[in-house]
Amino acid sequence: MTAPSTTVIALRPAPRAGRGGLPGLILTGGVLAAALLLAVLGPVLAPDALEQDILLGVTPPGTPGHPWGTDELGRDVLQLLIAGSGSALAGPVVIALGSMLLGVLLGTITGYVQGWLDFTIGRITDLLLALPVVVVAIVVAGVFGSGYWVTVAMLVVLFAPSDIRLVRSAVIEQSARPYIESARMLRLSPWRIMFRHIVPNVTPIIVTNALVNFAIAIVALSSLSFLGVGVSPGSADWGRQLDDGRALLLSNPAASIAPAIAIVVVACAANLLGDVIAARAERKGSAE
Amino acid sequence: MNDTSIVLEARALSVRGPRGVIVEPVDVRVHAGQTLAVVGESGSGKSLTARALTGLLDPALEATGVVRWGEREFDLSSNVPWPSLRGSAISLLLQDPFTSLSPVHRCGVQIADTVRAVAKRTGRRLSSREVQSIVTDRLREVGLDASVAGRYPHELSGGMRQRVAIAAAIAGDPDVLIADEPTTALDASTQGEVLEVLAALQRERGLGIVLISHDLGVVRGCADDIVVLYAGAVAERGPARVVLDAPVHPYTARLLAAEPPLDHRLERLEGIPGSVPSPGQRPEGCAFAPRCALATELCRTDVPQLSAVSRGGVVACHHSSTPLVSEERDRAGTARTVSFDDALLQVRGLRAHHGATEILHGVDLAVGPGEIVGVVGESGSGKTTLARCVAGLHVPSDGELTLGGVALPRRLGDRDPRDVQMVFQDPYSALNPRLTVGEALREALAVSGRPASDAAALLESVGLPSKYVGRRPRDLSGGERQRVAIARALAPRPRLLICDESVSALDVSVQAQILALLLRLRDELGTPVLFITHDLAVVRQVCDRVVVLRQGAVVETGPVEQVFDEPQHPYSASLLAASEPSLELKGSRA
Repeated sequence: MTAPSTTVIALRPAPRAGRGGLPGLILTGGVLAAALLLAVLGPVLAPDALEQDILLGVTPPGTPGHPWGTDELGRDVLQLLIAGSGSALAGPVVIALGSMLLGVLLGTITGYVQGWLDFTIGRITDLLLALPVVVVAIVVAGVFGSGYWVTVAMLVVLFAPSDIRLVRSAVIEQSARPYIESARMLRLSPWRIMFRHIVPNVTPIIVTNALVNFAIAIVALSSLSFLGVGVSPGSADWGRQLDDGRALLLSNPAASIAPAIAIVVVACAANLLGDVIAARAERKGSAE
Repeated sequence: MNDTSIVLEARALSVRGPRGVIVEPVDVRVHAGQTLAVVGESGSGKSLTARALTGLLDPALEATGVVRWGEREFDLSSNVPWPSLRGSAISLLLQDPFTSLSPVHRCGVQIADTVRAVAKRTGRRLSSREVQSIVTDRLREVGLDASVAGRYPHELSGGMRQRVAIAAAIAGDPDVLIADEPTTALDASTQGEVLEVLAALQRERGLGIVLISHDLGVVRGCADDIVVLYAGAVAERGPARVVLDAPVHPYTARLLAAEPPLDHRLERLEGIPGSVPSPGQRPEGCAFAPRCALATELCRTDVPQLSAVSRGGVVACHHSSTPLVSEERDRAGTARTVSFDDALLQVRGLRAHHGATEILHGVDLAVGPGEIVGVVGESGSGKTTLARCVAGLHVPSDGELTLGGVALPRRLGDRDPRDVQMVFQDPYSALNPRLTVGEALREALAVSGRPASDAAALLESVGLPSKYVGRRPRDLSGGERQRVAIARALAPRPRLLICDESVSALDVSVQAQILALLLRLRDELGTPVLFITHDLAVVRQVCDRVVVLRQGAVVETGPVEQVFDEPQHPYSASLLAASEPSLELKGSRA
């Protein structure tokens, strides 16, 4: 039987407890802050991560001097993990912020001004959204070479369309509200209306989306490294490490499981922090 | 009245929130075939009481007390088997028929769902033909054709949707129907129809109704008993005729006095100063004391207990033995005559479209200097589109707009902000939640080159203390927000002010304050006002002339006294008749 659609019966209070609480904020924010700190301090904490010891080769966790063992080239897994956090996180931060910037700028303008500009940018975003990310990445790598920052730049462009759409629809929703119509009747400049009145009111959505993008970017960038597009072979990176360690699953499981867990933990923390912020903004909104 | 006829009784029903008690213990008793009205302003706790009675409170809130339906009694703080009660013992009818029905299901399906759900719980199996015949019966009971079952909510008018919602609410044969502001979202003429449907159901089924309403006009015609709530506590309770005709609590009296009459213009509009305190900020002693003219030291320190007064009422007031001086409200003479040689705003042959549909079919309108002109009509008459065309927010397809003899550009982009400003309906979305009051006002002042220091004076001119410049909209009540919105609209010293339903979202006591403010500002500044409203009683109080709009065309226009007392067009007459408050009480009608 379908759920009764009259509110008389169907209206059950949605359980909301536990979402948007302070512990969630501290936990997810703390994990992310720790990961970012690790990325910044990586070169200091693990200066010899790339030092090879071919003679030693792969060793299991618990080897003296190498608590998490070593990989095929005799590199220390723990040091490699610490050093790899830099490229695993720097790119996603740039991707999340870059696409957010493009999204806010173009999304706000297209949503508020509409007209031919909206149409043109709308069709371009449609086109970009229709492209398969991995195929484009391989083609771009073929044309421009497979540098890390080339890949990051490409991902900024590929992430931006969904940001533009999201911001645009949120801006359209705000534009119809009386406070914006009052601002228009006062003949305030469009820039002022867009960036002083509308954008601050859609900020929670933008921030939440940027955090989700950050999580997706970690996984995307790691996947591309795993496929060999992105960071160059031999450098420290979680996606690279995951790929290299794949063959050692029996001799040293930590070599691939450690970076995998690191990716999952950071991506989940970013996603959940996004949820927490969204829930807090929602609660604050309802209090207003 | 014997006790067996009680269909719903709640004793010491109370609602607690995270910040303390929101609704103080209240007793509710509904007899079969009778209506209990719960009356109060926003923040009085009337909707929370209704929700507590149906188990639909927000999970952050907690209800306590004992509720009894017929023979079944439950403690609200323990687990009440709500699913087995909702629909069959008790049912809820919500305010807005536009959102309470599912837009993607046909009306018949929505009623049938309740029928099946209730039948399933009682272990009956119904064939789909039986369900269908019950659905048809329910639709007939609310005065709708059986064919409505096959239609979607968006194909129906507001009044018809509310009837479908009523049909769904009674589909499981409940003993009690809780109607939360069932007519507030509807036009005056449709309101009457919906109330008539409820009254008919009550007569035929012996349905007990709890009517939650802020509208004393609605309550007057329907209620047998009335509970007046103020700041989450009972102020007065008793038979309808006692409470409405001889109120003892000053709050009830002021609430009644704030209701604008349709048949004459008052010398002075009596609002209730201030606003309902929120749960965390209730004063010691009587919660109404800060707004009460009779308040004494005792009121400010001791909470008054409910005590019986004559003729079956109970009142929580230290002054219940002091008879209220019933102030005879003065009738004003005829409204001031306005010199009307050269109209300031002239609208000629205005046509406007929404997509391919023509909404306005050549409207003519004039507003003279210092004049308040009301535009009335039902929803769909085009009055809001007219306001938006004059405001520049909607570009008309044809017609002429002139202000002071100079053509007013059709597009907002070509206009001067000192020409026309507007005050909107909803005070909650009229202000940017991120800006302080001061920031919003300074921005509006800068538009016409006025110094930012004028903000304080501007606030005082709309009756707000100048310290409000630092406040944010969320710290303000609805009435205060609307005052800020008026101040912002007046900041560039516009030559014409448009009020689009600017008081219809406000409580009646606050509405009177805002109307008085608009009248005072008109007298002080001489700014003419185009006043869009569906509420004819409001027009009677503030407007000099009135324009009656029907389906995008003006059917009648003239001075308010003339149109209201001797309407020439049958449509004006029918609008007036529908707005006529039922002066008779329920009992006296039979």
